[in-house]
Amino acid sequence: MTPNTKEFETFWDSLDQELASVPLDLVTERDEFYSEPEWTVYRMTYSSLRGYRLFSWLSVPRQLAQSKAPAVIRMPDYASVHDVIYTSLRHNSVLMNPTYRGQRLSDGSFQAQYPGLLTEGIDQPDNYVMRLAFGDALRAVDALLGQDIVEVGPWTAMGSGLGGSLALASAFRRSTCVGVAADTPLALGNPAVVNPESMSENMAYPLAELGDYLRIYPHRSSKVVESSSPLDPVKMAAEIEAPVLLALGKRDRGQCPLPVGEELASRLPKCDLRVYDGANEGGGHEHVAIRIAWLKERLGIA
Amino acid sequence: MATKEDLESFVTQVTRPDDFEEFWQGVMAELAQAPLEPRVTPEPMRSNQSVQVSQAFYRSLDGLEIFAWYSVPAQGEGPFPAILVLPGYKSDPGLRRDWGAKGVAVLSVAVRGKLRSNSQFNPGYPGLLTHGVESRDTYSYRGVIADCVRGVDFLLARPEIDPDRIYVSGSSQGGGLALITAGLRPEVRGGVSGYPFLCCFPESMKMLRSFPYDELNCYARAHSGRVPQMIETLRYFDAVNFALSIQCPMVVGIALEDEVCPPETSYAAYRNLAGPKELWLFPNSGHGNAHDYPAKEAAWLDNQIKQDLTQKVHG
Repeated sequence: MTPNTKEFETFWDSLDQELASVPLDLVTERDEFYSEPEWTVYRMTYSSLRGYRLFSWLSVPRQLAQSKAPAVIRMPDYASVHDVIYTSLRHNSVLMNPTYRGQRLSDGSFQAQYPGLLTEGIDQPDNYVMRLAFGDALRAVDALLGQDIVEVGPWTAMGSGLGGSLALASAFRRSTCVGVAADTPLALGNPAVVNPESMSENMAYPLAELGDYLRIYPHRSSKVVESSSPLDPVKMAAEIEAPVLLALGKRDRGQCPLPVGEELASRLPKCDLRVYDGANEGGGHEHVAIRIAWLKERLGIA
Repeated sequence: MATKEDLESFVTQVTRPDDFEEFWQGVMAELAQAPLEPRVTPEPMRSNQSVQVSQAFYRSLDGLEIFAWYSVPAQGEGPFPAILVLPGYKSDPGLRRDWGAKGVAVLSVAVRGKLRSNSQFNPGYPGLLTHGVESRDTYSYRGVIADCVRGVDFLLARPEIDPDRIYVSGSSQGGGLALITAGLRPEVRGGVSGYPFLCCFPESMKMLRSFPYDELNCYARAHSGRVPQMIETLRYFDAVNFALSIQCPMVVGIALEDEVCPPETSYAAYRNLAGPKELWLFPNSGHGNAHDYPAKEAAWLDNQIKQDLTQKVHG
């Protein structure tokens, strides 16, 4: 196993330093319309890298068994909308649905495009939008732990696709995380997804966006590697102390090709790997029940 | 898990309003008066050896400009069959390059409110499902459905498209919209509706807790006095009522563990189909995630397209 480079460590340290220099400036507003008898819904806004204002939904159960509430951050996937989902976890844990910049409700000054976002600014490593989006995910954890509506106890992160990678990054940089459920985490930055063979027309979106980009700008390949490489979940893996439930799809060609996922699993210190027949839907319905039970166990919910 | 018997024994309370056809004839007449103003802008970055991708735009009801990804086979002269792909509720329309090598064009529509189609109308997600639901004339889906129908008009206006081989497909909301579009436009020759949303609103909102249907419960709690109006409006937009008008071959795919669109309600739409129909049931699968669905959908459409070509050539 190759140790991570100094550039990798510097990338993440400087990202966190930059985040620390931005006041959170958290505002929460109760949303009566979407609150229900079992939970109260809040609209949260807070600042992230470069002062960008971000939006998040926060669902808080009206009755909590614990003095410190268990919490789940459901990281956003590669899509314009990240809404409040129903899950049975909502009945007895805080559920946060944060967005990254460019997504709906966090699109005040920048509207992300799909496809398109994955290569936005990729020729400028410091300005690469995905670097900023990973910063936004870390800032969401800060907002969850910094809000004063409910005192949060154990917290977990979950997500699929890009959301899976953002969940892994949360645990990588925020060591209080007690578990990560990642489905087909986006293999952005992994060497396997920027080699000529994997750039074939058989790749599916969103990873295929990298192939589109390099077909038009072949001379920028080193910049693509430089910008995306620190975001490779495989590179983060060894330093993730929290247990990880990882779901992969054998036919996945757009999020986390099986060999990359297996390499990721092999590098995670505590990984429960589940491989399914699907594509980027991972385990689909079968995995939903497994994931909920696994998260409940991590959160200490009966 | 729902069983086939559960589906067959379910009877919806949704009925077709007496003036249902009159209402939609009026909407279609209004739509027909609006200029289509189609535009196509090539997208070289997304094109490859098998498919030419463009950004397409056209006008719909209320003068809104609608965006779509338009993928045309790069090889051959056409005219090509075309699939109108309709989007899920909150998902972004997919850029489909998978049909180009098979000689099939795809128009993947971003109905109003979605990215690139939301400069004038943007109620959000959640939000769209209850926007203007007080009246059939103000309801958001009056425009959303018009945007889908206009997709058929766009394809019919293209010289590279075979007007006798236009199909619809979609999953979730896209599945509901595929049924509705096929019900409104006889030019549609067949389609696949996966996990259809927009079916049996009064029952669906009670059977599950998930958005989007749960948005209707939020609305009902906030505006309890308007619930009868809401239910009355929704009768005009329920896919089960459009299914009665569909004469072309259609497939409905249902996941028996669907936690977003109750399987019984999707079956009610299937039951109402008036033409040749096929039912796919996926046990141990949830909303949008039956592992075999994409391959079955592609195979069915491919077969239908070929059958229709044979019939066209040989009369």
